[in-house]
Amino acid sequence: MSTPVLEVRNLVKRFGDVLAVNNLSFSVAPGEIFGFLGGNGAGKTTTLRMVLDIIRPTSGEISVLGSAPDRRQAAAIGFLPEERGLYSGMSAIDTIVYFGRLKGMDTASARSCGMELLERFDLADRAKSDIGDMSKGMAQKVQLATSLVNQPQLLMLDEPFSGLDPVNQGLLENEILRASQRGAAVIFSTHVMQHAERLCDRLLLLRKGRKRFEGTLTEVRRQLPASLVASSKGDLSALPGVASAEPVGAPQDGWQEWQVELDQSVEAASVLEHCSTHGIALRRWDERHASLHDIFVELVGGEGVEE
Amino acid sequence: MMTNVLLVAKREIRQILAMKSFWLTLLILPVALALGPLLGNSLSNEEPTRVAVVDRSQSGVAEALEVRFAEDDDRNTLRNLSRHVQRYDLESADADAPWAQHDRWYTAEDIAAFREAGGVDAAIEKIEAVRPEGVPEFEPEEPIYTFQPAPAGLVALQGEAFAEAAQELFDSDAADAPEVVLRIGENYPADPRIGLYSANQPRSSFVTVLQEVLTGDLRTQLLAQRGISGDEARAIQSAAPAIAVTTPPPGDGAREALLVRSIVPLALSYILMMSLMLSGSWMLQGSVEERSNKLLESLLACIRPEELMYGKLLGGLSVGLLMILVWAGCAGVAAYATHGVISDMIRPALEPVSSPGVILAILYFFIAGYIGISAIFVAIGAMVDSMSEAQGYLMPVLLGILLPITFLLQMIVAGKEGLMVQVLTWVPLWTPFAVLARLGMGIETWVLIGSGLLLAVAIALELVFIGRLFRASLLSTGHKPTLKRVFARLRAQPQNA
Repeated sequence: MSTPVLEVRNLVKRFGDVLAVNNLSFSVAPGEIFGFLGGNGAGKTTTLRMVLDIIRPTSGEISVLGSAPDRRQAAAIGFLPEERGLYSGMSAIDTIVYFGRLKGMDTASARSCGMELLERFDLADRAKSDIGDMSKGMAQKVQLATSLVNQPQLLMLDEPFSGLDPVNQGLLENEILRASQRGAAVIFSTHVMQHAERLCDRLLLLRKGRKRFEGTLTEVRRQLPASLVASSKGDLSALPGVASAEPVGAPQDGWQEWQVELDQSVEAASVLEHCSTHGIALRRWDERHASLHDIFVELVGGEGVEE
Repeated sequence: MMTNVLLVAKREIRQILAMKSFWLTLLILPVALALGPLLGNSLSNEEPTRVAVVDRSQSGVAEALEVRFAEDDDRNTLRNLSRHVQRYDLESADADAPWAQHDRWYTAEDIAAFREAGGVDAAIEKIEAVRPEGVPEFEPEEPIYTFQPAPAGLVALQGEAFAEAAQELFDSDAADAPEVVLRIGENYPADPRIGLYSANQPRSSFVTVLQEVLTGDLRTQLLAQRGISGDEARAIQSAAPAIAVTTPPPGDGAREALLVRSIVPLALSYILMMSLMLSGSWMLQGSVEERSNKLLESLLACIRPEELMYGKLLGGLSVGLLMILVWAGCAGVAAYATHGVISDMIRPALEPVSSPGVILAILYFFIAGYIGISAIFVAIGAMVDSMSEAQGYLMPVLLGILLPITFLLQMIVAGKEGLMVQVLTWVPLWTPFAVLARLGMGIETWVLIGSGLLLAVAIALELVFIGRLFRASLLSTGHKPTLKRVFARLRAQPQNA
């Protein structure tokens, strides 16, 4: 396995009596898209701020590109904050060049990369327009460009999809995939589970600053038992691995519809195999996996704001 | 680190330079200075006051008054000529002329000799013959009073009718209407009452001279009634001491010299105060914009809070120095355009601030003052979420800084170096203003060095604490900066931010 771009070990952050991040550990490899999921106040933004060295942890270790967080790594990091804003009196291209320069780029490279990004975002003709004269969507694209201008090795996006229209959400998804394809580690926090399902290689679910789950999408789906709808001439409630099976409606020609809930970690395929080997007649077998949204609500839901 | 500080400073400068208020403010001072004298000239009434005398006694008092006022005008012209000749060493024009002798109060004989020699026109002609290039021409002042015949309609009137007619004249728009009317009755001097009618409050100098002339005339007549001949009576009246006058040459008097020497230091202190208030408010505006536009987190992902703070301070300092350079350039152009009149005035004023050591001290205290006070503006900007909130905190801070400075400058203009001036010199917040303003009066070297060192230590501490406040306040949006919170942030270490 390649060296992680970001590695967090036993991270703790307290604000007075409030425990914002509680013994958090995870790592993100190059080219990986890592979803950082959690309710409001779960500690996502606090963790990202600690990775950026904007605030310091109470305890624990963070390793960014092999060393402790420091502004000297800004050249390799791209960051899109949750709360967005730019200098209203500055032009789009000057804004991108300014942030590029702050990340150690020379003016010419920053300008050239900035123009390339603006062209990609269909904003090349507005390069010299002041941010204050742009629509909110345009300004958001310029801000995204400021985080991408240095072609970062670690791209961190805090709630990047919030406030974006569907077109810009698609554009952002493309940019995340593009960054991952060129080898950047991408970590983003979100409330929108569809984006996480579509994009993430791995996910981390936070609850009150504590990690509830970390793994792939397949692994996360195992967090809730699978369910299925089957039509059989036999009784399915007594099958091994079945937590419950309720008949639905009246039988027709001996065929009964069943709503079946499996035990935790039991694969529907193994129950199907059992039916086959034991001669239980089936004419319908519809597996239903728990959605990420259901899992999120199950693991994280119902939390209030903590920070 | 320096690169980021410079980048932030450059952006700050560009932002401030893009503001219309910057350019308006930059131009207001030179324009105001240029317009001031012009407006002053146009607003001030340099026309002589028109006086009409209705003398029904035929006692010759009207002529006596005219003679006396003409004599005073000539004496004033002689004094001005003398000051001009003394200032520019022009005695060679005519060493025997009264205006080339600066050792006495000019007597009636001096005035008579001056008139006999051709008066002010002849004097100017002689001076012009020896006036070197660059020395300004002498420009005589207008007489203060001019006498003109009383309007015929007024002469015939008596009592209330006279007063009403005089008032009508004062109210009329006629260019030659008298502004002062004197009425001398038929029975003067037996009835010594004189009527004085004036459009405005009469000047005390006018009333004093009027009283002197009329008193002299009355006494002369009383002496004559006691058997003393008219000539003897006039001789008694005109007896006066010969007053020898010894004054320093223009610009060399202790008070005058102090004022001249303090012009540039005081101006520096004023300019420091003005440019600080202006660029400070622009810096504050920039900080508030960064907070209210929620772009601080993006910035802090790239640079350290200290770099942001130092960049802002450097940007503000650069704008302040730029303003001062422009104003100094305007002064230079004005000096050139006036062909040396201003530079002649500035030369002695620059004397106390022309040595390399003093120039270094000026630069040091100027820059230190800028950093010390700008840091306060930046800290306020980091704590508030809107300009209206900023104004609330700014007002008491500004009053706290500016009021002592105003008192300080007034005391130094008055030539006083009392306890308050001494104390303010040693309080770092006001040290730069006090030291800059005191340079003209002369300040002891140990005070200069001691207060400078104390200021450096205070600024270092200020930057440490304001740096903590800045760092801790940056991401704390929505929290009112209460005193308790401010003190907590001042103590906050980076890991607790």
